[in-house]
Amino acid sequence: MWIQENMELNEKLEILADAAKYDVSCTSSGSERRGKPGQLGNAVKAGICHSFSADGRCISLLKILFTNQCVYDCRYCINRRSNDVRRAAFTPEEVCRLTVEFYRRNYIEGLFLSSGVLESPDHTMDLLFQTLWKLRCEYGFNGYIHVKAIPGADPELIRMTGLLADRMSVNLELPTSEGLRMLAPSKSRSRILAPMRQIQRGIAAGKQEIVPRKGFRSFVPAGQSTQMIVGATRDSDFQLLAVAEALYRNYEMKRVFYSAFVRVNDDSLLPALPGGPPLLREHRLYQADWLMRFYGFRADELLTEDRPNFNLFLDPKCDWALRNMNRFPIEVNTADYAELLRVPGIGVRSARRIIAARRGSRLDFPDLKKMGVVLKRAAFFLTCGGRMMYPVRMDADAVAARLVGEEQRRAWDIEHRDAYRQMSMFDDGFLNPAPAPEDAGSVLSGQM
Amino acid sequence: MTVFVCRDTFEGILCGVYDGWTSGLGHDNVCLEIEDTGNVRMFADYRRVEEEDWKFLRVEEAVIRRAGRKTCGMVYRASLSREEEKADRIYRFLIYALSAGRDAAERLQIPAVNAVFQMNRSVENEANRLIEFLRFRQIAGGALLAVAAPKNDVIALTVPHFVDRMNAENWIICDKNRRKAAVHRSMGSTVTVHIPDGAFWEKLAEPGDQQEFEELWKTFCRSIAIGQRTNPRCQMNHLPLRYRPYMTEFT
Repeated sequence: MWIQENMELNEKLEILADAAKYDVSCTSSGSERRGKPGQLGNAVKAGICHSFSADGRCISLLKILFTNQCVYDCRYCINRRSNDVRRAAFTPEEVCRLTVEFYRRNYIEGLFLSSGVLESPDHTMDLLFQTLWKLRCEYGFNGYIHVKAIPGADPELIRMTGLLADRMSVNLELPTSEGLRMLAPSKSRSRILAPMRQIQRGIAAGKQEIVPRKGFRSFVPAGQSTQMIVGATRDSDFQLLAVAEALYRNYEMKRVFYSAFVRVNDDSLLPALPGGPPLLREHRLYQADWLMRFYGFRADELLTEDRPNFNLFLDPKCDWALRNMNRFPIEVNTADYAELLRVPGIGVRSARRIIAARRGSRLDFPDLKKMGVVLKRAAFFLTCGGRMMYPVRMDADAVAARLVGEEQRRAWDIEHRDAYRQMSMFDDGFLNPAPAPEDAGSVLSGQM
Repeated sequence: MTVFVCRDTFEGILCGVYDGWTSGLGHDNVCLEIEDTGNVRMFADYRRVEEEDWKFLRVEEAVIRRAGRKTCGMVYRASLSREEEKADRIYRFLIYALSAGRDAAERLQIPAVNAVFQMNRSVENEANRLIEFLRFRQIAGGALLAVAAPKNDVIALTVPHFVDRMNAENWIICDKNRRKAAVHRSMGSTVTVHIPDGAFWEKLAEPGDQQEFEELWKTFCRSIAIGQRTNPRCQMNHLPLRYRPYMTEFT
């Protein structure tokens, strides 16, 4: 392997940003830190996105690899050892200057530093630590830093790096250990989970401190996150979601990210994806992830062993509501917060607004619209003062037929967003019906 | 109908509220308007609001005491809105809020509350977007300069964020639409100034120092996008076109 010396900074940035782009996490949330006099930067709890790239994903952090050289040969990864790609490495100074200069111009919210494994996990982790130390202590940077923990590195190195960072992450990559064994033979599940557990314990220990020592930083204050690839193996949505739920519960993850698999390497063990990356599947997983984190759903309510994949035509919440029609309709003026959250078309904000507003007077459907409730969906599941918005047969099939029309269009947008099609009177909602038996027969026999 | 004409500031509007309220004509016969909006009614009696500090303070104090600080902040942000009818909407809202108490701002089913809620939300959203999308460039002497053209008068709302974040830098944030600028001195104070048309605004178009970082940023934005996932509509949803002329990566 060969790293070109004396490469222009611009070229390095091009290579190492390109190599980092398959990492999804780009959030700058979770830390709240005031600015310090004379230093640059603060951190905002909700996080700030600074730009959006051509693929519609947010750019919040300067997301780069320290180097794209790697000793591993994972089949899904563009930077695998056996790939013939341009290799580059930053120096710690270069990373610091880029971060600080970008930050003062309000381009970014901080640094996301990941790396290929150079020589050994320890050596790589040491380089990441040195970079962060320089950035925090020499450059006086007080903004957000997200850094990768390299599986297999010395726990002490991870601990010291964690004291300088806001968030750390270790990527699980594949939900099952069989998948990992097949596509990433040099990684193992236990080696990935070990630093996750260490970070979790470190965060928990930091919270026990009663009086924060002055001048000492807390360990990974914004928590840890991880990522799984969707569609590289045969794992079902239920498996992915169950793993995510376990990670939230047992490892106290702040976020689990899902990354639709992009086929960058030609490898016989990777699935061919003629329709492009499985974006709709990824979208459904994110919807379900939100339902688990903010709406009080459990993974086994959304999917089960015998129904392991998401409905293509309905979002997970509508899907759940249709399977539980006996719970509906609920009365807006009396239902509690948890019940309101389960209604399709009502989100966290609108549920809160409803609770606050109904203390004053009774609510009606036009009021709900003003509070941000999506009546197109919610109308089938709500009553205001005992009346529904319009007469609806409370029957799963009838409601589904009316919900699907709208959702189908959105789903189609996600999967086929570049294509353009003229609207016509004979629109079939962009789904081709199966040919009639006579037609199928005539094609086989050659009669037209 | 008697129309009270006030200046387009928070203080001006609250003085208008005071005059309207104490005129003794009855709320239904009174209405507030911002000066120079261009609309004149035929059968109305126009009165100019005399701006006095004590009027403003009395109204502000009454709002804080009877409806809470949060509601007062909401009224302040609504007063920065670009809506022409904002003065009257705030008047109608205060009539309700001063009698309904601290929860008044949450009764979104009341039309007067809803109108102010909408203005407040749109101003807040734009201020947050400006904090995200504002781009500084370095000018001679190492100071940072940002130009924006927001629809609402939100520069004042972004200032605390940047003061906290970049207190050791010298920076200027310019509002092109209102000919206003917030100027911060390193480790010092921040002031808002009105700058009349002229040399200052013409000079803004000149390129700055250290352009290599602008080039590096453009390179980064190009290479971070995944080609197979290109999605201009999603990008447009999050980052509307009107912000882009002032953003480094789109010029």
